[in-house]
Amino acid sequence: MKKRIAMLLAAAMVVSSMATAVSAEEAAGDVTLPREETLYFAGQQWGAVNSWNPIGTNQNNSMAIAAGAGWRELMFETLYMWNVMDGQLYGLLANDDYAWNDDMTALTFTLKDAAKWSDGTDITAADVIRTFDIGVEIANGTGSSYGPYIESVEGEGKTVTINAKLNDAGDPVNPLKILDFLELTPIAQAAWIDTVYERCGGDATAILNDAGDDVVWSGPYTKYFADDQKVVLVRDDNYWGQDASMWGKLPVPKYIAHTIYADNAAGEVALKAGEVDVCQQFIGNVQNLWLEDGLPISTYYEEAPYGVCLTMPTAWFNMNIPVIAENTALRKAIAIAVDYDSIIANAMTGQSPSFADVPRSLMNPTDGEQALYDHDAVADLQWTGNDVEGAKALLDEAGLMDSDGDGWREYNGEKISLNAVCPNGWSDWQASMELVAAAGQAIGVEITTLYPEADSYNAVFTDPDQTEYAIYMWSPDASTPSNPWTRVNQFMGKDYVGVTNNWSGNWGQYVNDEADALIKQIPLTTDEEELKNLYTELTKIYLTEVPSFSLMYRPSVFHAVNESVWTNFPAGDDGRNIPPADCTDGYGVAALYDLELVG
Amino acid sequence: MKGYRKYFGKKLLWFVITFIVAVILNFVLPRLMPADPVASITGRLAGGNSDASAVAEIYERYQKEFGTDKPMIEQFILFCKNAIHGNFGLSFSQYPRSVSNIIASAIGWTIALQFPAIIVGWLLGNILGALAAYIRKGYDKVLLPIALFLGNVPAFGMAVIMLVVFGVYLKIAPLSGGYAFDMIPHLSWDFIKSVISHYQLPFWSIVIISIGGQAVGMRSMSIYELNADYVKYSRFLGIKDRKIVGYVFRNAMLPQVTGLAMSIGTMIGGALVAEIIFSYPGLGSTMYSAVTAADYPLISATTLIITVMVLVVTFLLDIIYGFIDPRVKAAQFE
Repeated sequence: MKKRIAMLLAAAMVVSSMATAVSAEEAAGDVTLPREETLYFAGQQWGAVNSWNPIGTNQNNSMAIAAGAGWRELMFETLYMWNVMDGQLYGLLANDDYAWNDDMTALTFTLKDAAKWSDGTDITAADVIRTFDIGVEIANGTGSSYGPYIESVEGEGKTVTINAKLNDAGDPVNPLKILDFLELTPIAQAAWIDTVYERCGGDATAILNDAGDDVVWSGPYTKYFADDQKVVLVRDDNYWGQDASMWGKLPVPKYIAHTIYADNAAGEVALKAGEVDVCQQFIGNVQNLWLEDGLPISTYYEEAPYGVCLTMPTAWFNMNIPVIAENTALRKAIAIAVDYDSIIANAMTGQSPSFADVPRSLMNPTDGEQALYDHDAVADLQWTGNDVEGAKALLDEAGLMDSDGDGWREYNGEKISLNAVCPNGWSDWQASMELVAAAGQAIGVEITTLYPEADSYNAVFTDPDQTEYAIYMWSPDASTPSNPWTRVNQFMGKDYVGVTNNWSGNWGQYVNDEADALIKQIPLTTDEEELKNLYTELTKIYLTEVPSFSLMYRPSVFHAVNESVWTNFPAGDDGRNIPPADCTDGYGVAALYDLELVG
Repeated sequence: MKGYRKYFGKKLLWFVITFIVAVILNFVLPRLMPADPVASITGRLAGGNSDASAVAEIYERYQKEFGTDKPMIEQFILFCKNAIHGNFGLSFSQYPRSVSNIIASAIGWTIALQFPAIIVGWLLGNILGALAAYIRKGYDKVLLPIALFLGNVPAFGMAVIMLVVFGVYLKIAPLSGGYAFDMIPHLSWDFIKSVISHYQLPFWSIVIISIGGQAVGMRSMSIYELNADYVKYSRFLGIKDRKIVGYVFRNAMLPQVTGLAMSIGTMIGGALVAEIIFSYPGLGSTMYSAVTAADYPLISATTLIITVMVLVVTFLLDIIYGFIDPRVKAAQFE
């Protein structure tokens, strides 16, 4: 009897795992993925894939429908690929010929002659037009992100024109956002969109939720298998990009596979064991993997900071709290007292340049952004941290003294008591908040730490009226064609003040009309000198007013590779200009065409 | 029989009342968490979207779709109506996947892992406890303390130790997942072998920690029974030891059966640690991720399954005890 039950259970187990295996059988391909034809990933996909619909919404399909350091170009392609290394757009579906008209109200480009859908039909202007139009109609990511900036997309055959939305003065609202559209919008096939539209009866929610199992794609890979434990993409050997006008060949790995790990630790163990080739996870002291463990693991740069930092996790001051809003000296004192070197050494284990290496401003550490402001003009205002005496002097000068001798300073007769908050389990952020609290202690300002679960945290920090959190963390935008403008707008723009469910920016609700006016000028400024002046002025305001302060620099995607099976991954010194973007994002996808097998 | 009918009726009434209260709590408690999952969905979608009014629009759309804009009582009635048809709505965290679909793909794994592990752990524990009580000596002095020690290692500690020792250092067991990382599920010996080899570590990590608790309970019950008058009397009568042990074992078993039934009832919660450490698929890890993501529909559905399982098991136990244990029967029929 026991034996029979055991047999039954074993059968149940196999059947339950088989239940999802249909797609692989349909494909009639390999059931065991040959190691030497498969590139394994970790750190992108954290749950079973729920959709293959590129015009849908809220997909968790991290390998096919997502963006990191640019759009993930494996299955659905964008018009252009973004390269975070040189800040350039490289033609993918489109030729490298995009051009603005004189008043920047229209942008025109042509699509590659060779560009085709997986069903063999040409990719034409009609597809780009339909992708944008359906986005606006059903308010998906494309529609809600670019609808406010793009009036219409027109064109015929292979020629496409994007018309900018104009403001009251007749100027384009924001030409920079149109460049974002070029590299972040996956183009979907017009005919397929019509099919979905029809089967959903034109209902927006139904279209957004459509699983897209019959989707037509343009990229080099397509779905092969997906269940609760993994997702596998297979190369499309008819991919148009093997044409000489694009890559001239197919990407090397036949399969792209991502095991769904329970957490970072499981992914890291698999990377060390050689079961993962490309790992998009933060790995503390990553250098120990090759220096101490002797594993064939490497990062983009051999030395710290090991990767390319594109964003800066930032502590935002809550301007709804009077003592913060009314005391610039308090904000600056806390900011200059924090021990950033310790944050970078401990929380980031050196995977960030220090604020002495890359002085603080509104820019990320890339050369392109660093060249956008006058370093000398703001040098007096920058700080590297751990300046407890300077902070105390600032507070004394502002009259924020400890008058009752309890060791804590007061404002209007009341002890200044703040909290420093970030989501629970985000260990590097928590370590940062501890150091902010320690800085408070050192300068006589009580700061206690608080780590709510991510979901509670999200609900509070996106509420524009909240007074629960005083100092709290979030990262601004990393790298897109519209940056650093988008990031600067997130730091000080007025657009986001008072907006409910504010995921967009200015999480401290800081209002500065002068800064806002300068921010509004930038998208329409083409003169480089003038642009530099504007960014320099904004940097001055930011460093003087301290509405927030960045705690470290950080990559937008992590990129560590195990070279026990595959090699020739992009590296900082190889002269190929391929970014460390996990071989998938933006121009980083170029890496897939250069991979080689070890031995 | 009339007395039994009354006993049964009373039990059934309590079962129904408990069930109703449990369903209400299952629904209400997750929703009292200070979180807004719709805000999270919006955040995921709006990441990189800098237009504020568009974000607000997205938020409202999801509020409407999930019905979180309606009063709680209205949401509850809708929940009950749909739950009767096995429809628990859409998951927040894996939207637009349905809760039923998520549970269906996970529950097979959990049952296949937990059920045999509970039975094996229970059998081994009881045999060890009985032997310790009867033979004493080495069993009582060495094996039982070891089992107790292992049984008191926290579940996550045991799982991590096994993972590191057998997976990372000895490399005799796979590190994670329900089947090999380079396989696609299909019917073949290779695949079945792979499923079994991935099954080992999570299975033993559950078995080992459950042995100790079972053994200690069985041991003290057996010692109590061994000293009972009927055992002494039987010995005087010259009945064979083996026969006496059989009686003792059966009498000592009664409370152990309760323990077994309860662990089967709570198996989903018990699977949590093993599933998470070994990245093993199943309802435990599903529930864990649902809780961290404030995925109300998924939390409600998984906790409802646990509740129903525990209720059914205790109800059945009550009924069966009424039959098999004369002491319970007597007490209830008074």
